[in-house]
Amino acid sequence: MRSRFAVGAVAGLAVIGLALSGCSGNSSTGSASSGGDLDGKGKTLDVMIAANSLYPTEQQQWFKDVSAQFQKETGATVKFETFASANDELTKIQTSVVSGQGPDIYDLGTTFTPTAYSTGAFVKLTDADWDKVGGRDRFVPATLGISGPDAKNEVGIPFLSRPFVLAYNKDLLAAAGIDKPADTWDGLAEQAKKLTSGDVHGMAIAYADSFDPWKFVWAMSMQQGNPLIDAKTKKATIDDDAVKKAYETYFGWLSDDKVVDPAAIGWKNAQAVAAFGSGKAAFLPMVSSSSQVSLDKSGVAGKYAYAVMPTIPPGEKKLPSDGKAAASIISGDNMVVAKYSKNQDLAFALVKMLTSTKNQVAYTKTFGDLPTNADAAKQIEQGNDLIAPILDAGTKSFGTPFSGAWGDTQLALVNVVVQSIPALSSGGVSSSDLESKLKAAQATAQGALDKSK
Amino acid sequence: MTTTATPPSTASASRSRSTAATIKRKANGTRQGDITRLLPKPLLVTVITVLLVIVLGPVLYMLFSSVNGDASVAGGAFFPTELHFDNYIKVWSTVDLGNGLMNSVIVCLAVAVVCAFLAVATAYVLVRYEFRGRLTFLRGLLGLQSIPGTLMLLPVFVLFSSAASILGIQIIGTRAAVFITYLTFALPFSTWVMVTYLRGLPKALEEAARIDGASSWRILTRIVVPLSWPGIVVSGIFAFLLGWNDVLFASVLTNPETRTAAVALQVFGATQEGGAIPLYGQMMAASLICAVPVVVLYLVFQRYLIGGLTSGGVK
Amino acid sequence: MADSTLVTPTGASGGRRGGRAKPVHLRNRPLWMLLPGGILMILVIVVPLVVAVLMSTLDLDQYTLQSWLQAPFIGVQNYIEAVLDSSLLRSIGISVSFAVIAAVVTMPIGVAAALATQNKFRGRALVRSLFLIPYVLPAFVVGTLWRTMLQPGGVVDSTLGSIGIHSGLWLNGPLSYWSLIIVQIWTSWPFFYLLVLAGLQSVDHEVHEAAAIDGATWWIKLRYVILPYLRGPIFLALIIAFLHNINAFTLPFVLFGVPAPQDVDVLPVLTYVTSFQSFRFGLSAAMAICSLILIAIPLFVYLRAVKLDSGDEGEKR
Repeated sequence: MRSRFAVGAVAGLAVIGLALSGCSGNSSTGSASSGGDLDGKGKTLDVMIAANSLYPTEQQQWFKDVSAQFQKETGATVKFETFASANDELTKIQTSVVSGQGPDIYDLGTTFTPTAYSTGAFVKLTDADWDKVGGRDRFVPATLGISGPDAKNEVGIPFLSRPFVLAYNKDLLAAAGIDKPADTWDGLAEQAKKLTSGDVHGMAIAYADSFDPWKFVWAMSMQQGNPLIDAKTKKATIDDDAVKKAYETYFGWLSDDKVVDPAAIGWKNAQAVAAFGSGKAAFLPMVSSSSQVSLDKSGVAGKYAYAVMPTIPPGEKKLPSDGKAAASIISGDNMVVAKYSKNQDLAFALVKMLTSTKNQVAYTKTFGDLPTNADAAKQIEQGNDLIAPILDAGTKSFGTPFSGAWGDTQLALVNVVVQSIPALSSGGVSSSDLESKLKAAQATAQGALDKSK
Repeated sequence: MTTTATPPSTASASRSRSTAATIKRKANGTRQGDITRLLPKPLLVTVITVLLVIVLGPVLYMLFSSVNGDASVAGGAFFPTELHFDNYIKVWSTVDLGNGLMNSVIVCLAVAVVCAFLAVATAYVLVRYEFRGRLTFLRGLLGLQSIPGTLMLLPVFVLFSSAASILGIQIIGTRAAVFITYLTFALPFSTWVMVTYLRGLPKALEEAARIDGASSWRILTRIVVPLSWPGIVVSGIFAFLLGWNDVLFASVLTNPETRTAAVALQVFGATQEGGAIPLYGQMMAASLICAVPVVVLYLVFQRYLIGGLTSGGVK
Repeated sequence: MADSTLVTPTGASGGRRGGRAKPVHLRNRPLWMLLPGGILMILVIVVPLVVAVLMSTLDLDQYTLQSWLQAPFIGVQNYIEAVLDSSLLRSIGISVSFAVIAAVVTMPIGVAAALATQNKFRGRALVRSLFLIPYVLPAFVVGTLWRTMLQPGGVVDSTLGSIGIHSGLWLNGPLSYWSLIIVQIWTSWPFFYLLVLAGLQSVDHEVHEAAAIDGATWWIKLRYVILPYLRGPIFLALIIAFLHNINAFTLPFVLFGVPAPQDVDVLPVLTYVTSFQSFRFGLSAAMAICSLILIAIPLFVYLRAVKLDSGDEGEKR
């Protein structure tokens, strides 16, 4: 009947219309605004940044201050848009990429920079561009490690640094006669055993967290010289003895060494922090400077300190010849500029402002995250003993493999832990069980690598 | 639908004096509602008590957690170990909750009202009239209801941005974008609710009006709508809640000014890597605050959920 | 029924004609009332659905997203990979069984609640509003709430432990499937309650009187007199709850996180992860469409079986 045909016609026309406009919407590439003096009068830059739930009112104030400062410099104002979690930001990036419209600048977690890079939707910084943001030299060299696959193809400008370290309870260590945490994973486990008694455990580990577990495995594998995937040769090396040892050590803390609270199989990061904060654990690995806020409000305020995590892999007494002394992943935020942005030069100017020494020092003083500006880092270091180890860990950070396949690899690594939890709760993960899970993870990672471009 | 034309007549024909007396006695001693009671009293009380416990237990936990310290909640405490009543104050500044609530209320109320009436109109045609493709339309509605949201996110976004560039106006980021999205997603189900409800309405009133020469529009607005308030209220509630609780679409279709409360709430639950405990207390407080408008609206409109048919109107 | 195919709408004015008055349901059909809803649904649901089908035939991932129309066309390859090479079929199995169990168990609870609050009693408005709370709370709040309650050593474990039950892990392992069902039941029973409550309002007062006169006990009255009225709402609620549970993403996502434990790797979480974490949009669209087709078949069988679509009109002659 007519109406049915009409339905089909309307739908068909609409799809054709979409297709046509879809083509036109994505044609802008490298449309930088004309050079010369930056005049941003009447323009607004749109920046997407993580919502800071630790310092919400301070963040609102910071938004206002940044916009005011930028307006004085260039005449343009800055509008900030926040996202609640990394997943939200990734979704926003995808919808913006597919439609060719959205924020001009994204503040990205470092581990997601490879994914953003692989969409091809962000500006690769030429030498001229680097000058516009203040020059590559102004940054701490380690923080540039995850800006791109190599120095010639970089999209990320380092903005914040949040290296991972180990927090420890000074009182508990002193009572057990331990001076400071060991620099080998085996030594750390031994110390944890001495610190475990009654309802106090040596370590607080969040086995059920979606983010923590893979970083341990990565660190231990890197220290054995295994980067897990190689972007250049497109080979995954998860099905490997070093990785197996890493998982065995990680699980072993609970099942064999018994230095972790049995309830930890259900802990997310927050529960592990809470346990440490109530004095029930001596070591709390894999935290960053964001933990200061929670720990200062807890029962261990003033009694805790940070230390660089062990850099010598399990089973070894010193670093193997091909191993890397990876104390932490390169963690923090990079800023990327979208190719579809019509205000690219203004965007670079804003990034230059935000990564200047003055702004970086002020940011660190307010929010606690460490600066990526080398001068600012030197200034912060003076007189602040608590965060000195964190800055140290920052210089000893290594980047996760720069590949579009890293997202899947990371998921696969965490998946091994998630699917092992039932076994872990009933005694331990058997060797054959672990091997088959590693094979599955290897297949996933290799599949993702094969698809990567 | 089985209208009960027969029982009263046979009953009246065979009404014995004893049953008449029984009814008189009941009418004197008890309220009319007793005849309509569906469950015996003890069962009724048991059901309500059990359900209240099941519902209020976790809600009580939310209340306790909303004034507890975040680390205690993370550690699994039930009763508050410390009292932080200021959580209820802090939520308004941690995220722009006031703005979010306002946006949510505006959009969802609009969606509820428009959706309920569109649903009545559509259902009226579907139930009372014949036309080719009627069954297909009905089945198609249910089919549309089964489409998952994650499938539609990117295409809907593409649709809106393309429409924006064709029409030259900004759609994404406005309240209109989420309004249209929620309205359309709520329509299939709301229509079905009205279809089911309208089937139970006797046609006599409408037929009488038709004989008197009323147009379809008059019949719809003067007769059908007033009789179907319960169904309208229920479909309105569902449409409202669809928009109220949606996060996926709101997070990409809104900008900071038009952000809804559901998206704002996400910030509280955000898991931070590296040792920051989520703001459990504020999150529970904010969630309870966000539940209030819906419960209040329900309290206001639930009087319409009582006895739709005007007694005696059919006779 | 044969008449309707020959009859063309004559409009409101041309209704009466001598002796051949057409029945009401064929005259004066205000089909225009279908337009606003219909157009909206076509534009905002059908068109994106077509786009999604298109995307499912493309090799659309993070590398090709930017100019998605130029992504390579790979036809049914995504579908083949979805069915053979991914955990789609297992996820569908988990989702469907979970949806059915949750919908079926929730039904009596909702019906009982509606029956219990039908009559006036002091505080009824308050009770009715309190009943609504689990349904009103956003899914991610419910998820976080129950995740905190169900964590090892949390509230549920300590309560059960105090009466001697040690259940093991709630959020991983075999029990996780049942945790999901329990939480879903907790949050969605008010849905049945609302629908049945609305349906109860269409019961004439005379029906109650007649049952009282006939001296029917509450159980007889309920089963033979009241429940037939509720047939429509209950069957509708069952199918809608089923569909909603199959597509419910936020609750399992927040309750269990990603990667999901094997026993609760439900379909919407799988498609979400494939789409927004592995960035394989083409594959995820194919997965979603596969599941749509697989679910549509029993859906329409159900519709036919409970006569939900035709109701009484189809039987009228």
